[in-house]
Amino acid sequence: MDAARNRRSHGLIWIWTLFVALVIYLPVACGALAGLSKGRYFLFPIRAFSFEWWEKTLDSLEIQRIVQTSILIALIVTLVSLAIAFFGALAFARYDWRGRRLYQKLLLLPIFFPQPVLGLALLLWFNALGIQPSWHTAIVAHLVWIVPVVTLVIAIQVYGFDPAMEEAAADLGAGRWMILKDVTLPILWPGIWSGALFAFLLSWGNFPLSLYTAGADSTIPKWLYSKMVAGYTPMVPALGTMSTLAAATLLLLGGAIAGFVRKRRAN
Amino acid sequence: MNMTFTQQAETPPAAGSAADAGADPALPVLQLVGVSKRFDGFTAVDDISLDIREGEFLTIVGPSGSGKTTLLRMLAGLEQPSSGNITLRGTLINDLPARARPTCLVFQSLALFPHMSVGRNIEFPLKAKGVAAAARRARALELLKMVRLPEDYYGKNVMKCSGGERQRVALARAFAYDPDVLFFDEPLSALDYKLKKLLEKELKDLHKESGKTFVYITHSLEEAMVMSDRIGVMRAGKLVQVGSPEAIYGAPANRFVAEFVGEVNVFPVSRGDGGWVIGETGEPVRVALPEQMAGARQAAVVVRPEYMRFLEAPGDADNVVRGTVYNEYSLGSRMQYQIRSKHRVFLVEMSRAQTRAGDGKGEVLIGWNAEDAIVVEA
Repeated sequence: MDAARNRRSHGLIWIWTLFVALVIYLPVACGALAGLSKGRYFLFPIRAFSFEWWEKTLDSLEIQRIVQTSILIALIVTLVSLAIAFFGALAFARYDWRGRRLYQKLLLLPIFFPQPVLGLALLLWFNALGIQPSWHTAIVAHLVWIVPVVTLVIAIQVYGFDPAMEEAAADLGAGRWMILKDVTLPILWPGIWSGALFAFLLSWGNFPLSLYTAGADSTIPKWLYSKMVAGYTPMVPALGTMSTLAAATLLLLGGAIAGFVRKRRAN
Repeated sequence: MNMTFTQQAETPPAAGSAADAGADPALPVLQLVGVSKRFDGFTAVDDISLDIREGEFLTIVGPSGSGKTTLLRMLAGLEQPSSGNITLRGTLINDLPARARPTCLVFQSLALFPHMSVGRNIEFPLKAKGVAAAARRARALELLKMVRLPEDYYGKNVMKCSGGERQRVALARAFAYDPDVLFFDEPLSALDYKLKKLLEKELKDLHKESGKTFVYITHSLEEAMVMSDRIGVMRAGKLVQVGSPEAIYGAPANRFVAEFVGEVNVFPVSRGDGGWVIGETGEPVRVALPEQMAGARQAAVVVRPEYMRFLEAPGDADNVVRGTVYNEYSLGSRMQYQIRSKHRVFLVEMSRAQTRAGDGKGEVLIGWNAEDAIVVEA
């Protein structure tokens, strides 16, 4: 009786989980299918499939340029935000100092600020300073939003870090550099690694900040939007699918590397 | 930084280096003079002066919050004293950082590096000194043997070791640094009783074999008694008494130390017109006053439960109390009785072999002789 009820509730949980997964991933799948349509316009159901638009997308010089821009922005954002967020996270979670609580609150603010408003504010700010918006300014805008996120991600790892580790290392004769290289960084590594993935993917997929602050330069999300507004071609869903697949691949690769390192450490 | 490295590179890592250094045995290895530590209006360590002797096993005991960890951290160089001086063989080391001191602390959490194997943990201080990889490995294997871990633990993930094994790894790592003084911050507190007992004895052996100075802190006096040459008792940042385990047990400096040492019968006494009386009740009591308290009008009398006896007749002891047994506990090889008299509860303890058929039942006479009681400042 109990076993039967247990099985039934188990079954219901499975059905519900599958339903939610379907609702979440179906639109992504539809987008992918739209990019594989032979026709010029988006019609459903799709009558003929082809890789024509994928080929066109891959061949397009314009798209090559915006992909390069997107990658460049995301890479620079990742590196700069890691450098800032690592020390920021130590200040956030490791050290006790006057003004720490205020710092913790100020740091969270940009995350909760609506991004279009943040983008507009930054654009006005660049204008006031007389800076021509381009992909350079987009990097700054991304950093304003992404650095706090990455700081929080790393700070979570820092909270679980026993400060006695660093003290023990110093007590055993290690200098600051050796402590950082051999103790602090390796122990915080999982947090830094996930922070890096966060930074790259948040920059890669960011639309509102790029829209306002990239000026004449375009990124993938910005280009997708502008083509949706005017001049739709199936290259839009094709590029969207590629972008999603690239992000997913990066995430899987990141997870695999983290898993590999963890396994090697555990012998 | 370079100074330390060259200095230590000259001394090959070997046991008993403290003796090689030609240290003057009369000179304390570490000396504290009026050392205090204050944190925002709170005094953790309050004006402590103490000589730590070359090669001794000194244990600082005290309840949590008594400042013993702060004291140890100042000795290790992880904390700087707010006032007072710490000297190492005559050299002032107040501001010398931990990594430049010939001392090493075994943390309460052990602070083993979780991302390193057992071997790499032990080699860490050697790596910091710039010892070549092959020599590091050879020394790590030696140390594994010393702490009684098998050689194949060298490559084992330190997080997969048991509590007792981690303890040994931490000890080996501290020895790899080859310090003159080792500090221990309650490293055994998380272990189960049996393992703790075993490691206490091993630590004591290691102390003897290595000839190094050990400074150990704990809240357990039992632990201190087993291992130490000398014990220091701390309370509220102050060092209340320092002495041999026998002195701490047999001649506690005050009521706090006496009560800290174990379960005791303790009550206040005062000098009345016709002699000493028990504080609240005025019952007469015979007290053997130590010389240094000759003029005292107030005192506390401490009678250890093992000095309390069941009596046949009222004349069998200096002080006699009539009471009823209302509880008896088996302490393994010993028996403990709780006896309720008119005014208070007394503890009587004896070895199981000494108990007689009539003991511990109904109304009894108990008592103690004046010279078996310890009289301390109230």
